[in-house]
Amino acid sequence: MVMSKHRGSDAVSFRLTGSELAFSVLDKLYSLASRSSERDLVKYILELKETIMSERPASMAALNMLRQVGLYILRHGFSGVDRYILELKEKYKNALERAAEVLSRRVTGGETLLTNSNSLAVRRVLEHLAKQGKTIKLYITESRPGNEGLLLAEYAESLGFEVYLIVDSAARFFMKNVDKVVVGAEAVASNGAVVSKVGTSLIALVAKEARKRVFVVAPTAKFSPETLHGELLKLPEYDWRKLVSEEEASKLPENYVARVPLYDVTPPEYIDAIATEYGLFAPQALPLVLNLIEKSEYVLSKPLEDVIAGLRTLVEGGSV
Amino acid sequence: MTMYPQRVLEIASGIREMKIRGAGRIARAAADALRVAALEYSGERDLVAFKKYMVSVGELLISTRPTAVSLPNAVIYVLSSLRSARSFSEARESVVEQAEKFISESEEATKRISQIGARRVKENSTILTHCHSSTAVRVITEAYKQGRVVKVYSTETRPAYQGRITFTYLSRSGVPVVQIPDSAVRYVINEVDYVIVGADTVASNGAVVNKIGTSQVALAAKEARTRVYVVAESYKFSPLTLIGELVTIEYRSPEEVVPREWLEKHPRVKVLNPVFDVTPPEYIDAIITEHGVIPPQAAVLILIEKLGWVLDTLESSEGRLDLNRIVAL
Repeated sequence: MVMSKHRGSDAVSFRLTGSELAFSVLDKLYSLASRSSERDLVKYILELKETIMSERPASMAALNMLRQVGLYILRHGFSGVDRYILELKEKYKNALERAAEVLSRRVTGGETLLTNSNSLAVRRVLEHLAKQGKTIKLYITESRPGNEGLLLAEYAESLGFEVYLIVDSAARFFMKNVDKVVVGAEAVASNGAVVSKVGTSLIALVAKEARKRVFVVAPTAKFSPETLHGELLKLPEYDWRKLVSEEEASKLPENYVARVPLYDVTPPEYIDAIATEYGLFAPQALPLVLNLIEKSEYVLSKPLEDVIAGLRTLVEGGSV
Repeated sequence: MTMYPQRVLEIASGIREMKIRGAGRIARAAADALRVAALEYSGERDLVAFKKYMVSVGELLISTRPTAVSLPNAVIYVLSSLRSARSFSEARESVVEQAEKFISESEEATKRISQIGARRVKENSTILTHCHSSTAVRVITEAYKQGRVVKVYSTETRPAYQGRITFTYLSRSGVPVVQIPDSAVRYVINEVDYVIVGADTVASNGAVVNKIGTSQVALAAKEARTRVYVVAESYKFSPLTLIGELVTIEYRSPEEVVPREWLEKHPRVKVLNPVFDVTPPEYIDAIITEHGVIPPQAAVLILIEKLGWVLDTLESSEGRLDLNRIVAL
């Protein structure tokens, strides 16, 4: 098991959504930046990068946060890094909020939405809709593996929405009752393709077939600058043994073998728009838009590998 | 009230509670129940009384599952033997004989489909199947024995995990099989050469009613230009759909999806559990029957050839399946 080899293991669970993972990374970095030595902080960043790359290589928000903190250290040294981490966290929180608000405006009261998994961005959208007093109906797929759909159903129920929980296989059956599909993202590639919980691409295909619109809520921190240079996003597959309890395992057939992908890629042509903190864009326009926006550090940033190499030199050269 | 033999009641509740499942097994179980009912009939030795009794057994069986057409088709097939019976003992014998004939013919049909289906699979193929269809498993196993199958993806098939049954049968025959969550179908479909699935009901326009999820598997396959084959014995074809009847999709208990405790804690979440969905004929490359490989749109040919006379009785009973007319009461 790769996780246990790294100190960062507690911060990287597949149960965390992409945004929750990013927040947990920032919290951990902040506590190290304010309490530990500079060397420990840099070493932790190096370790965490390895852990994320092996367990959650598609979780762009967390990787982008590491990149930003690493870049700060390379450019400005360690003074003020704790404050910078807090700023990043605040900014990401606001970006999530703004993106959700942008999307919530696209939803009219009385509409029926379909979503999967338990995206933090989608939860924010639901909060905005509740605040705006819009009554909506919500179909939620249970979202195997993981069944995070149950968590979202509980949350949507607590906000007072009418919630229908369905199996993943029933998306096409109910799509005719749905007005819009709203999903979150782990990563957005430079061609506008969206990495999200496995099953999202099938839902988007089914929505397109039924001429229903598909919206993705993704703050720009989900954008992968590496894909601009031709890098492929890596999609992790999970060890199925870790997904079943002992009781469940006893019910499985002999010699059981399973493949458990956690994410899949939805092509841009199945997505009507991506809601970001800067507004709503066609997925294909996102890299262009980000380049035009001065503040879009994620696009203009150095490749993560360069930042990591810089930090490694710091550690190996004994400067920290 | 009519008294039914214990074994007949057991079969009826076995079908209702899904202990007996799969369209073929349900059909054969129903034929067997009619055979037992005829053999253990203890009422008046009168032709009309016997016919009435058999009709009520037939209705009891049909009421157990609304969607699977194999069930009424098996009942129609077996009870039709009563049409020409002239005496009580002749009637009883003919029901027993016809039931046995149905059971052996249906087993023969599956065997024939496995041979025809295996021929459609090219060498080095990867196959994906959804749910558990014993006919699909036989086709895949036959193709594997002929050295044409390198890998099979089997969906776990929520909520009841019938994919695990598929996994067990295939893996026992040595077929290399990998289970995937239902949500991962599009993720793997580029690796897949053929989707092979069974059918619960084939409508007269060639639409296929099968386990929930089949239609989105077929859609993902079409998008990836992967061929979709449906394997279906002729008793899966629905005569009622030809006269405009809609296939009723059964919803089952939410407790199949989430535990009761969860439901009690979340009273405002409605869990919807439809069992079947409809795959339109344009997503299906062929339906493989015991009579050969047909385009789905030609489903009506099978209906007319196999069940033409039933269609006439349906017309005269205003589109309802009236077993009294089937037995000429």
